[in-house]
Amino acid sequence: MELLEGEKEVIVNYVEGILEEFDPVQENLVPILQEVQERLGYIPALAMEMIATALDLPPVDVYGPATFYNQFRLVPPGKYQFKVCMGTACYMAGGQIALDSFERRLNIKEGETTPDREFGLEHVTCVGCCTLAPVVMVGDQVEGHVTPTRVDGILLAYDAITDEKENEGDK
Amino acid sequence: MNSTAIENNYNKLKARAEKNLGSLENKTVIWVGTATCGRAAGAVEIKKFFEEELQNNDLEAQVLETGCMGHCYADPMAIISKPGFPPLCYGYLDEGLVKRLVQDFIKGDDPCYEYALVALEPNDIFPTFEDFPRGLHEEKIILEHCGFIDPEQIDHYLATDGYAALARALMMGPDKIMEEINNSNLRGRGGAGFPAGLKWEATKKAEGDIKYVICNADEGDPGAFMDRSILESDPHLVLEGMIICAYAVGASKGYFYIRSEYPQAIKQLKRSIKQANEMGLLGKSILGSGFDFDLEVFVGAGAFVCGEGSALINSMEGKMGMPEHKPPRLAVQGFRNRPTALNNVKTLCYVPYIISKGADWFNSIGTPGNPGTAVFALAGKVANAGIVEVPMGTTLRHLIFEVGEGIPRDKAFKAVQIGGPSGGCLPESALDIPIDFDSLQEAGAIMGSGGMVVLDEDDCMVRIARFFLTFTQQESCGKCTFCRLGTKHMLDILTAITRGEGEMESLELLSELSEDIKVGSLCNLGKTAPNPILTTLRYFYDEYKAHIEEKRCPALMCPELIAYFIAPQKCSKLCNVCVGSCPVEAIYNRDDGLKAIDQEKCVKCDNCLKACPTDYNAVIKVSPPHLVKEMEEAM
Amino acid sequence: MSEKITITIDGKEITTDTEKKLLWVALDNDIYIPNLCAIREEERPYAGCRLCFVEIEGLEEPVTSCTQPVTEGMVVKTRTPQVDRLVKTSFELLLSDHRLQCNKCPKNKACELQKIARERKLKLKSKRIKHLERTFQIDDSPESFALDPSRCVLCNRCVWVDRNVAKAGCLGFSYRGINRIITTFNNVELTKSACTQCTLCVEACPVGALYFKE
Ligand SMILES: Cc1cc2nc3c(=O)[nH]c(=O)nc-3n(C[C@H](O)[C@H](O)[C@H](O)COP(=O)(O)O)c2cc1C
Ligand code: SF4
Ligand code: SF4
Ligand code: FES
Ligand code: FES
Repeated sequence: MELLEGEKEVIVNYVEGILEEFDPVQENLVPILQEVQERLGYIPALAMEMIATALDLPPVDVYGPATFYNQFRLVPPGKYQFKVCMGTACYMAGGQIALDSFERRLNIKEGETTPDREFGLEHVTCVGCCTLAPVVMVGDQVEGHVTPTRVDGILLAYDAITDEKENEGDK
Repeated sequence: MNSTAIENNYNKLKARAEKNLGSLENKTVIWVGTATCGRAAGAVEIKKFFEEELQNNDLEAQVLETGCMGHCYADPMAIISKPGFPPLCYGYLDEGLVKRLVQDFIKGDDPCYEYALVALEPNDIFPTFEDFPRGLHEEKIILEHCGFIDPEQIDHYLATDGYAALARALMMGPDKIMEEINNSNLRGRGGAGFPAGLKWEATKKAEGDIKYVICNADEGDPGAFMDRSILESDPHLVLEGMIICAYAVGASKGYFYIRSEYPQAIKQLKRSIKQANEMGLLGKSILGSGFDFDLEVFVGAGAFVCGEGSALINSMEGKMGMPEHKPPRLAVQGFRNRPTALNNVKTLCYVPYIISKGADWFNSIGTPGNPGTAVFALAGKVANAGIVEVPMGTTLRHLIFEVGEGIPRDKAFKAVQIGGPSGGCLPESALDIPIDFDSLQEAGAIMGSGGMVVLDEDDCMVRIARFFLTFTQQESCGKCTFCRLGTKHMLDILTAITRGEGEMESLELLSELSEDIKVGSLCNLGKTAPNPILTTLRYFYDEYKAHIEEKRCPALMCPELIAYFIAPQKCSKLCNVCVGSCPVEAIYNRDDGLKAIDQEKCVKCDNCLKACPTDYNAVIKVSPPHLVKEMEEAM
Repeated sequence: MSEKITITIDGKEITTDTEKKLLWVALDNDIYIPNLCAIREEERPYAGCRLCFVEIEGLEEPVTSCTQPVTEGMVVKTRTPQVDRLVKTSFELLLSDHRLQCNKCPKNKACELQKIARERKLKLKSKRIKHLERTFQIDDSPESFALDPSRCVLCNRCVWVDRNVAKAGCLGFSYRGINRIITTFNNVELTKSACTQCTLCVEACPVGALYFKE
């Protein structure tokens, strides 16, 4: 992925700051990666190289864990990230149907981000509110009982789609 | 002399806590349950409504936060304790109900009994938990305080005799603690049921002057949330168990390994550790005993396999979370290659109770060989979903039909899935099995971490097996051949079956692969991955057969094998609800005014079926899908 | 401290010393046990390929011989129905994800997979397990050798050599489960990585994944 103008400086600044907060030992790799993702939203290759140098590790040993764990993403997320729960209760209550609806409406697949980087779609497993299944998280907000109609409602609230039906009615 | 010092130090802490809390007596207190489950249902707003409403009415009452009572189906919930009334619990709260409670109960003196769920203290007016079937079977040990104390305040824990067991343990000395834990026959609650005493003993005896204890709060089972609930609702209980364990095995440092998906619990743990440090319950010379111990939180980065001990250690060391061959066991060579005792959250929670009340008391609950209680996260098609604690030996039937109050909407019970991706599905005929490590294993399931999902007639058993295989296949670390490739092939076979593309021979391959993966895999993720398949094959073979031979999904669930149909004789020509509900505009008006579905366009989202008014119930599902054509032609 | 002990493998009495792993004792005594991921010098066996199963008297289930320390009086069988069944499945699973085209492979006749098939009379093409059709990019940037991940069996041997002998820190694994793959940092070409082109990894590779160009 090509970095945009000015992104490199931002990354270098942030990562340098983060590295100062930790002892430079391999044990701190996961917390460091978490911190980088927390601040930048993802883990750029440049950050991985800086971390490798600081911890005196081969870069591939940072890349390995960064690709291994679910939490880490190597590309920037959407501004709004929709996380569809695919835990047992949600799946049985129609989590897949909700995910399908998001994919259809946003025209992206799970794990992808819309080209304008506004919306991202991913799945999570059990966020601990199975009694509201199926559940979708938008940021920290939990939405329960998500049917395809509710999906449209959520997307409308974030301006992700315009209400086609209304528009059609106007015609 | 050391003993008296410890006792004095503890008593001082407790007296101070009681004094601080004494200020709550004779006051009206509103406790809002704000654990993750409550929050998801809007508990934070409910708390705000209470505060605003009290302010608007110039009323004096304290609004406090508490954890999860386990009755998540009724979230958001609150307990109101007003002098002169028993503490009463209200559920399904919304703004209107909050207003009403403040007006009628806090301001007036009408407790709105019609909205109260239960009273928390015996009284003459309103029933308590003991008066419900659930209360009859439930026996709370480690959930005793969950939802009834403020987890953010260490004083609440101290005032309910919290950390008394620690003081006692420090006076007993490590050997006596070991003896008590060994005699208690406590078995690990992380899944395998390994005796905690043996594990501690091995860690204690292992060579090395630096040792660690780790609490496994990874809780990766996609349908389990008990550990989270306890950490959010009664964090100091886990801390106390940890400190006692560390003292017994001779560890100087401990870690909580907790998943990043639990931000609320992480916050709570960090706060609790800080509080315990400030009170001298952690750090140098705990309670003046001379025993030093520190605790830290390690936030996992999300990989189910990291719940496995050696993978957990690798991830803490900054590597990929990949399991290792055992031996060496963690007790001998764990974190930083030092002896390490790894225990589940719940296992550690029993420890303070065992120290306080003794091994004999613990053995008097449950069954011989399986003492104590079992904690489950009950979810799926069950009326009272939430967290339950019952003595070991309770039957599944009692748990599901009395504690959980059965299947909602008059549907028929089909199966119960226990133990998540490593567990299995048990049918009606297995419902009288007592819940304990050994009986469940015999039936093909496992106790596992405690996820329990109830399935009814609308749930397809092939699909649930496929769901768990999807999960294990995605979560396999990929190190060993059987699990990496075996789960992939099993998943492919199951997917073909749910699409109606399966063959009967593939069922044979499925069980052969299952048997081999069970024996051949390196770690227990792989070794247990076939369980959902093996149990569904064993108990629900006919469903597999229907999918393959008739291309029919008996539960009408597999999208490729069903079709939606609008029954003309039921459809009211005047209603247009379904047309608007369809997200892909597959429903159209026929010339005669009836509605019909364009099968090519339909994405099987179930919206029209839900949308069709119950007066008509005209939308139906059929399987196999070609039945639609026949029905249309018959018209 | 090691002591002399006697064990029996397939009826043959062998004197050896403790602290050795069973696999090496067998191989050193001309008893073949299939293996891909074992490294003699490594104290903590990787135990990933799951091919080296044997049965030991007194143990219920087959065990991996690369992880099994030998003990006095141990009685071992390298061929039993249980062992053969496990090895067959494991082998078939590995090959279901292996681009099989022996006549075009530079490792033809020198490949460990072929050796296992020969020794255990196993077919390279499985009848019961479907082949996963996956394609990967071949990296032929180095002068004398190339890396074709579609032939890789994820045995870890090249990574071990890279770290412990060559000390380059170039190769590793990324992703998880079925997506696990041998890689360089950020999946760049070998020549753009820390690779020194020492070719030690090529010699370590038991199959045709890392191979010398013609
Ligand atoms: C794939 C896998 C996932 C596991 N996940 C957990 C978990 O989330 N929590 C847990 O306590 N134990 C988990 N375990 C079990 C642990 O490896 C270990 O047995 C347990 O933490 C020991 O604690 P106990 O003796 O108190 O049960 C898991 C095991 C495997 C193989
Ligand atoms: S069984 Fe699965 S999770 Fe365990 S080591 Fe093997 S591949 Fe990894
Ligand atoms: S490239 Fe060769 S040596 Fe390296 S892991 Fe793959 S098969 Fe093993
Ligand atoms: S399964 Fe979705 S919240 Fe638990
Ligand atoms: S050689 Fe033993 S598992 Fe690979």
